[in-house]
Amino acid sequence: MSRPTVTIISGSGEASKDTLPVPNVFKSPIRPDIVHDVHTGMNKNRRQPYAVSEKAGHQTSAESWGTGRAVARIPRVSGGGTHRAGQAAFGNMCRSGRMFAPTKVWRRWHQKIPLNQKRFATASALAASSSAALLFARGHNISTVPEVPLVISSTAFADGAIAKTSAALALLKSIGASGDVERVKKSRKVRSGKGKLRGRRHRQRRGPLVVYNPDEDGKELVKAFRNLPGVETSSVYSLNLLQLAPGGHLGRFIIWTSSAFSALDKIYGSTTEPSALKKDYLLPSAQMKNTDLSKIINSSDIQKVLRQVKGGAVSKRGVVQKKNPLKNFQVQLRLNPYAAAFSKEKLGQKKLNEGKPERVGEKFETLLQEN
Amino acid sequence: MATLSSDLIWEITRNTSSNLVKRKTGGGYAFSRDPLNLTNKYNRRNEGLVNNKAIGIAPGQDGGVTLITKKNDKAHSPASHTHSSTFPNSRSTRKIYSSIIGSTANRNYRADLRKDAVARASALRKSQKPVKESKVSKPRGAKAKATEEST
Repeated sequence: MSRPTVTIISGSGEASKDTLPVPNVFKSPIRPDIVHDVHTGMNKNRRQPYAVSEKAGHQTSAESWGTGRAVARIPRVSGGGTHRAGQAAFGNMCRSGRMFAPTKVWRRWHQKIPLNQKRFATASALAASSSAALLFARGHNISTVPEVPLVISSTAFADGAIAKTSAALALLKSIGASGDVERVKKSRKVRSGKGKLRGRRHRQRRGPLVVYNPDEDGKELVKAFRNLPGVETSSVYSLNLLQLAPGGHLGRFIIWTSSAFSALDKIYGSTTEPSALKKDYLLPSAQMKNTDLSKIINSSDIQKVLRQVKGGAVSKRGVVQKKNPLKNFQVQLRLNPYAAAFSKEKLGQKKLNEGKPERVGEKFETLLQEN
Repeated sequence: MATLSSDLIWEITRNTSSNLVKRKTGGGYAFSRDPLNLTNKYNRRNEGLVNNKAIGIAPGQDGGVTLITKKNDKAHSPASHTHSSTFPNSRSTRKIYSSIIGSTANRNYRADLRKDAVARASALRKSQKPVKESKVSKPRGAKAKATEEST
C-alpha cells in the first residue's frame, strides 16, 4: 500500500486541500545498521586532537638502583635532601610517573566514509522520518501532530514572516509540534562528569528539525527558531545525518516547508532517474518490495505450494489429573485405538468356542483298526 | 513512501525504543511504557506501537476505565490515530469486561488480546476500590479474654 500524497498544512495548523506527491527518497530502504555505522563515523569527524604532554612523567633524572638494595629495580629519583629523592619514577604504576601508553596527537581522529554509504544513510534516515511509529519509538512527542511527514505551506514563511522566536513558537503551537519542544525543555539536566567543564554543561533531548529551502523560504527562520530548546534548522540542500538520526537512532521529527519538500525529488532523484545535484547518483532500491511477513506467508501464492501439515494439530496437555484408562474409556482409546473395535464387536463378552468338543467315540476306534 | 510493515518496524525498534524499559533491577526483563500495551511486556505481540491494531486500557476519570484502540488506516496521522471510549465508574465491572470484548475481540479486532484486556481492566478496577480494613482480632477462649481485660 503506497501513500502517494501528503497534505500541506497551513501556517495556522489547518489541513489545506493542496497536496504534494511524496518524493522518491521516502521509498528508500530503511537500514538501521548502515545508519548506525555511518553515524558512528561521522560523529568522529568533529573531534579535535588532544594528548598529554610529551614530557609528562619524564622530567626527572631517575635511574635504577640495580639489584642488591632490597628494593624494586624501578628507576628512582637521585639526590637527597627532599622527599622526592629515592622515590620511584617513570613507570605507569608510579606516583607522578608517565601514564600507560601516553596519548598522541597523531591518533586517527577522523573517519573516511564512502560517499555512497553516507548518501544511503541519509536517504534511509529520511525514509524513517516518514513513519509515525518510528518517531514515537525515538521518543518524539507527536501525539498532536496532524500528519507525518509534516509539511507546512511555504506561504507561512514567505517574506520573513517567521523572523521572531515568538512567531516561530506560535507556528509550532498551531501545528501541534509544541509538545515536542516542551518535552525538550523539561529534559534539560546538568551533565554528569567532566563534560560540564568542557562547554557541555547541560544535556537535553532533541526536538523537531525544521527543514527549509533557502531559495524560497529565506533564512530569517533560522534566527527565529534557534533559541527554542531542541529545535534545529537545516537547509534541504545540506541535510546532515547527525541531525536526521541523532545518536544513530532513526526517526527524527522533521517539519518540512512545502518548497523544501518538493525540492527533495530534484536533490535525490529516484532509483532510475539520476539526481540533478549529485553526480550520477541513484537512490538505493529496496531488497524486499513487501516487508509484511504475515501477508507474504498467508498469501495464496505461498500457501498453494506448501505441503499439507503432517500429523495435524497436537495440543500439549499441561499439568492435568491422571485418568485411569481402565475406567475412562476415552483415555483408554487414546492409548489403545483398537479398544473401539474390541468393544463394538463385544469381543470381551464372546465365548471362545460354543459347547464342548465333540467326542470322537466309536469312529476313533474304527479309524484305529483300519490302519 | 510506503507504509512500513509491522514486521519492519519491530525489527527496527526492538532494541532501541523510547517505550523499552530494561533495567538490571528488573532482572533484565524488558518492560514497555506503551499506553497501548496491555501487559507492559516489551514483545512483538503486546507492543502497541508496532502493531497496526492494538488495545490500551487506562484508568479513566473518577474511577472509570478508558478503552483505547488504534485505527488501522490512520498510521500517518498521530493526532487522530486512536479511538477512545470511557466506561463510567457506575458501570459494573463485568459489564465493562463484556463491553471491552464486544468492541474488540468479538469484532475481529485482536482477539488474541481478549484475556489480557479483561485482566488489565480487572486489575484497574480492583486498584480503584478502597482498601478494606482488616478485622480487629477477637480474643477467643477464657485465658485470652482474661488477659484482654487485665490490659
